[in-house]
Parts: sequence; structure tokens; C-alpha cells
Amino acid sequence: MNDILKGSLVRLSAVDPEELSKAFAVWRRDSEFMRLMDANAARLGSQKDSQKSIEKELEEQQLNQHWFTIRSLAEDKLLGDIGLYVVNWPGRDAFVGLGIGERDFWGKGYGTDAMNLILRYAFMEVNLRRVTLTVFEYNPRAIRSYEKAGFRHEGRLRKLLHRDGKRYDELFMGILRAEWMELTQ
Amino acid sequence: MKDLFRGELVRLTAEEPELRAKEEARWARDTEFHRLADGDPAQLYSDKKIKEWIEKNVEEGFKPERYFFSIRALDDDKLIGFLGLWLNLIQSEVWVGIGIGEREYWGKGYGTDAMKLCVQYSFMELGAQRVSLGLHEYNPRALRSYEKAGFRLEGRTRQEMQREGRRYDVFWMGVLREEWMQRQNGEQP
Repeated sequence: MNDILKGSLVRLSAVDPEELSKAFAVWRRDSEFMRLMDANAARLGSQKDSQKSIEKELEEQQLNQHWFTIRSLAEDKLLGDIGLYVVNWPGRDAFVGLGIGERDFWGKGYGTDAMNLILRYAFMEVNLRRVTLTVFEYNPRAIRSYEKAGFRHEGRLRKLLHRDGKRYDELFMGILRAEWMELTQ
Repeated sequence: MKDLFRGELVRLTAEEPELRAKEEARWARDTEFHRLADGDPAQLYSDKKIKEWIEKNVEEGFKPERYFFSIRALDDDKLIGFLGLWLNLIQSEVWVGIGIGEREYWGKGYGTDAMKLCVQYSFMELGAQRVSLGLHEYNPRALRSYEKAGFRLEGRTRQEMQREGRRYDVFWMGVLREEWMQRQNGEQP
């Protein structure tokens, strides 16, 4: 079998609280990154803050949470993180969250590659039936990336977000195992 | 929709820790019950200790891989046993354990009725693909009951158990979702 944690541009690696918190303390100073990633107000935080919350999250239930860091294959550089959170076991549905903190790696397929890996992991390893995500209307690059990975538009929460005096929708996207199988097999 | 927690003879309930501990401690003093339900040496624990374990589970809160029910008879509302389900979430497999502690309710279909509810709950509510269980060779009443609930004998680990100087097999049974669905539709699997 193939290495299911290795793609064409990136590989998925274990979350190391110290490493990720150091990187995140830098990434979160980039308010654009924070706004693309999170619907809450962009906030700053120390490395120690982040490390504590990462360690706490790692204590959560292992099976509900499949969380990885993303590294480039070429330089083995830490680029971001991606997590699959099973929200409904009977329905076998998980939310996926993805962030590429390193700006130099935006728009070049790294995120899409990581998403492809997590989808294979979700459907072939955790045996899920669907994967769901939310993305903000003002993030067309992410929307395109998710479409490329096979996600379909399923709905939107209208005018949920308030940024720079304008209101934006939050979009819901999803992909079913059968759809993913058709795309990849 | 049908009531998932009510069968023809029993209903599934959640009981307060005090009552559960009191009754379960009493059932455990019946060594025959203990040996039928459990492979470990018959050992006694106080009401207090059992209550502590139950409360610890309560404190841990909801876990998607663990479900517990008490069993009450419908006719007299008596608490007669318990039922535990453990899910392998990745493989959609449920492991079930059942015990009818009240002897007067043995061999009269109460356990079978509870097991039918459990299998229905596993397939219709938890989305399981199969339900598994194990039992001891020296418990033919349970074997028959599980067969009635839809389980098939799938294998045995030979002479795994020793009781009173004799060795006994452990039986492994399972029911698949498709088999169970066929039975529900009145077809012979």
C-alpha cells in the first residue's frame, strides 16, 4: 500500500505542541491569515498560550480527532496544520479544518495536496461517509482549492461574518465517500 | 417512529447510581450469575465501591464508543438486569454484554427481548455493521437466547475457561446488518 500520509507536495506529520506553538505564535501575527482561518476576532497570543491549548486539545479523545501538521516535501518545512473532527459517529461525518500559516506557500497547491491526503485518510482509514467544512465568502482561494479536492457547495449562513464594515456569508461544503471514490479510483 | 427503548417484555432505562449499585452488588453475590456473566473469578464488591465506579462513568460524560442501559420488566417495572454496548467506531462494530441478575426472570424471554432491543439500537441508531458477543460454553440458555435474537455462532476458542477443574470453550457470535435487515423483512437469512 502507498504511504497514505505522503502527497505530491506535502506530508502529514505528528503535532508537536512546542514546534507548532512556536510557528503559530508567528503565523497569528498575520491578521489576514487569522481572518481566513477563524470567524472570531483576530487575536494575538504568546507561544506559551498556544502550547497550552495545543497540549489540552491533544488530550481530547483520540478517535474523534485526527490532527496533523503539514510539511513541505522539498524543504521539510512546517507549513500549517489540518484536522479532522468527527462530529457524528452514527452518521460518520467529520468537519475538516485547514490552515497554511506560511504565506510563501499560499496559492501553490500545498493546501489542496494536504486536503487530498486528509480526504483519503477520512474515507479509507477512519471509514467515514462524509466530510464537511465551512469557508468564508471572502476566501475565494480556499473555495477554489476545496472545489478542486472534490467538495461541493451545500449551503450558506447568510451575512454571518462582519469584516471591515462589510458582511459576508459563511459557506458550507461537503463531500461524500461515493463522490470521492468516483473522483479518485 | 418506533420506541427504541421499549420491547415486548422489557424496557431499557437509565437508573440512578444508588439503585444500580444496590441491585448490581446484590446480583454479584449470586455466584452462578457471576460465572455465567463473567469470565473473572467471582469477586465481591461493596455497594459503595460499585456506586463509585458508576459515578466515575457518569462524570466522564458521553462517549460515542460506550452505551449502558439498565433493564426493567414491563409487567412489574422491576429492575432485572443491565446491558452494555462498546463500539469500535472505525469499524462500526458493536460488542455487547448483557446480564439478567434476577433469577426469577431467567429462561422466560426477558433477556432475549432486551438483546433484540440492543441489536435494533446498534443497527438503527448507532449505524453498526455488525454486533459481536462472547459467551461461555457452559451457558446453553444464553446461546439459545442469542440465536433467537439473530446471532450466529462464528467460532470458539477451545478450552479457554476453567471452572471447577474442567475446561470449557468460549463461543463467539455475531450478527451482520444485512442478516438482521432480512429478518426484519420476514425473509430467511
